[in-house]
Amino acid sequence: MDRRGFVRGMCLGGLATFALPAVRFAQVPGDGRLVFLLLRGGVDGLAALVPAHDPAYARARRGLALPDEALTDLDGRFALGPGLEPLAQLWNRDELLAVHALAIPYRSRSHFDSQAVLETGLDVPSGAADGWLNRLLGVMGGEARGVAVAAGMPRSLTGPASVSTWSPTRLGSVGGAYLDRLALLYRRDRELHDRFEAALQMKELAGDEGDAMGSRGTGLAARYAAVMDATARFLAQSDGPNVAAVEFSGWDTHAAQGGADGPLARRLGGLAQALADFPERMGDRWRDTTVVVMTEFGRTVAVNGSGGTDHGTGGAAFVLGPRVRRSMVVADWPGLADGELFEGRDVRPTLDTRALLKGVLAGTFDLTAGQADRVFPESGGVQGRYDLMI
Amino acid sequence: MNPQTRAVRALNRFGLGARAGEASTLGDPKGWLLDQLEDPPPSVVGDVPDEDEVWVRIGAFRERQRARDREGAQEAGRRMRELYRREARLLLDTRVTTERPFVERLVAFWSNHLCISVGATAVVAPLAGLYERQAVRPHVLGRFEEMVLASVRHPAMLVYLDNFRSIGPDSAAARLVRQNRNRELGLNENYARELLELHTLGLDGGYGQGDVEELARLLTGWTVPSLLPWRRAQLERMGRDGSGARGPGSQRGPGRGDGDESEPGFAFLSVLHDPGEKAVLAGRYGEGQAEGERAIRDLCRHPATADFVAGKLARHFLSEEPAARDVEALASVFRATGGDLSAVAARLVELETAWDPDTRLFRTPQDWLVAVLRAVRHDEAPDRATGVLRQLRHTVWAPDAPRGYPDGARSWADPDSLMNRAELARSLAGQAPRDDLRPERLLSVLELSGDDPLPALVHDETIGARERLALVLGGPAFQWR
Repeated sequence: MDRRGFVRGMCLGGLATFALPAVRFAQVPGDGRLVFLLLRGGVDGLAALVPAHDPAYARARRGLALPDEALTDLDGRFALGPGLEPLAQLWNRDELLAVHALAIPYRSRSHFDSQAVLETGLDVPSGAADGWLNRLLGVMGGEARGVAVAAGMPRSLTGPASVSTWSPTRLGSVGGAYLDRLALLYRRDRELHDRFEAALQMKELAGDEGDAMGSRGTGLAARYAAVMDATARFLAQSDGPNVAAVEFSGWDTHAAQGGADGPLARRLGGLAQALADFPERMGDRWRDTTVVVMTEFGRTVAVNGSGGTDHGTGGAAFVLGPRVRRSMVVADWPGLADGELFEGRDVRPTLDTRALLKGVLAGTFDLTAGQADRVFPESGGVQGRYDLMI
Repeated sequence: MNPQTRAVRALNRFGLGARAGEASTLGDPKGWLLDQLEDPPPSVVGDVPDEDEVWVRIGAFRERQRARDREGAQEAGRRMRELYRREARLLLDTRVTTERPFVERLVAFWSNHLCISVGATAVVAPLAGLYERQAVRPHVLGRFEEMVLASVRHPAMLVYLDNFRSIGPDSAAARLVRQNRNRELGLNENYARELLELHTLGLDGGYGQGDVEELARLLTGWTVPSLLPWRRAQLERMGRDGSGARGPGSQRGPGRGDGDESEPGFAFLSVLHDPGEKAVLAGRYGEGQAEGERAIRDLCRHPATADFVAGKLARHFLSEEPAARDVEALASVFRATGGDLSAVAARLVELETAWDPDTRLFRTPQDWLVAVLRAVRHDEAPDRATGVLRQLRHTVWAPDAPRGYPDGARSWADPDSLMNRAELARSLAGQAPRDDLRPERLLSVLELSGDDPLPALVHDETIGARERLALVLGGPAFQWR
């Protein structure tokens, strides 16, 4: 007897109050797939997407200014920083937007506040608000599903729409009968029963190969690759989730972030390789997929007293996927000269994260501007960049 | 709530998990909790690493680094992490065996409030256990500001949040380096910001970027000389050449030396300190270590700090969304007693919400694992415990960010985590001692509603005993307290 059969049997056997919720990954009208990859800690945007053309660059960055030979030029003005070379493949296929001077609408240099604003998509931090990815699922209609391929549920995906989590951690093999009995117990818990049900579904979707993923290498690059591979595994299925939230932490480089082959460059390298390998993992489904890479804030323009950078404002982001109209750098560049910096220290933001995200949503899921505005309820005054995607 | 349920509540909500049959032996649950607050500061069981050994291993690591001996540094790093693993293991043993579980919960709470993370940089790992034992444990039943000050003076914190290398832009050292080598030394505002946002006032505490920078200036000079790239003689020369009449190059920290590699630890070095007046919120401060201490005491006594700390305690012990009047009850004790943490803990126990059968809190992975081990009568943590916690993303002393580990179902009860606990419950039940496989006894550690199907399953002898045990530990009731 399979698990559901067992549970139904239990229900018939006098426990009829434990109604089985009809949850499943269903076919949705649109086939779009979105990965929201959040880099927690505040990535140094000037190290990732280098404004090499800016005459003030070298002087403003001081000890962290990178030599030309460490850079991968994109458009003669901006270049990919060390480590991100693998993204050039996507650039050459017209599948990459490199975005700069981007920021959330709220001026705070707190990780906590800034992540809250980025993940809720609102104007100001709110302790209670739902995540914008969850709101997106609501706007797309009841069939759309979301998964966090992350340890824990990120804020961006919390909310009323049913979502799941999965990470490559397996802590022992468990049999079907045991899980069936646990499911019966969980059905009594008003807060947890949906979540346990979702966990059972993910276990089914991941299959045996999923169980083996936890045992791959432990290095940074191996970890990034394992998470992105799992993400592809879920999203590539025709009845898989439409939206995935993925996150990597460790970008808070207050000290010794290093130059062309320093710790930050190595971290970016692991990330870029996992991203560059992602299209192949997605197979045919890649044509419907967009990956957005964002962080909560940029960092100070000048190096600090310890070879690192402190919390700043404007930063960089990347959008990957075939629905990108053509590869380009999206930056209304404010310049790094003394008088141009925000509060004398940060990249002055010239683009609201939500303007970019609205454009991405419209391009990936064929949403109207009105629908995109519902995903970001307070952003009516922020014009979406609908020109960037096909 | 009947007396038995109240006892279970005391053991689970405020303690580290009930043992089988323990609830009926408790007597007055509230009195049992309050009595725990009377004793001396809580200590760790077993042989903790010696402080000198910690510094010897850090010294060896630094020396290999300076010699650019990559392999040697890796080996020295491994020997540093060994100390961390030993300390983490002893901490878990303490939690599994303690007879004062409420006080251990308080240790965990405050240690997480003023957290450091071994994930940050290699040198934090060997200091992590020392940090909790020296900065947190002595003060969990004492005064908040003494705990905060102990953390500001602790090498683990100064390294973790980079303050040890934050240098006053106008300090003697910075002026000298600018003049001789045309290099800029400067502030690192990481610690100052987190001290305001996470340790004292809280995010809405009414400070701005200017306050962060001024506090960072005040905290320049609070450092760990043995970890700086200069030797003692160089620092003294800087003091003579650069600061002229500004006095000696250093002031001794309590019990520790000042830039001599043979005497490591915290020291205040005035050659690194930014001169001049500083303004943090309404306070005006001058130069030197005492002025920094005065500023930190002012922050700890600020009304916003009481509110912030009270809210966090209430979310940890009472409800994910605590009532304003409960938070205010705690904050007012905090303010009235000058941050007496024992008095605040006692007030927590007196609040009716704590005993309300309709409130429940989701156990963190660490608390879940410790509760499992207490329930199945372990007298120490198994070897794999620290590794298991890493996989449950709740490694001892290793949060991802200075905010520390979160509380609540929103953070911990995602689908994948529930599945991980289910898997782990099955595997731990498989290893439980054979002579103690009586899963039905464990029903006494839970608050169960009358129609819960768990008792029927646990008494169903057609199911194997180990699986029934796993159903208790991995099922929903055991996830809450």
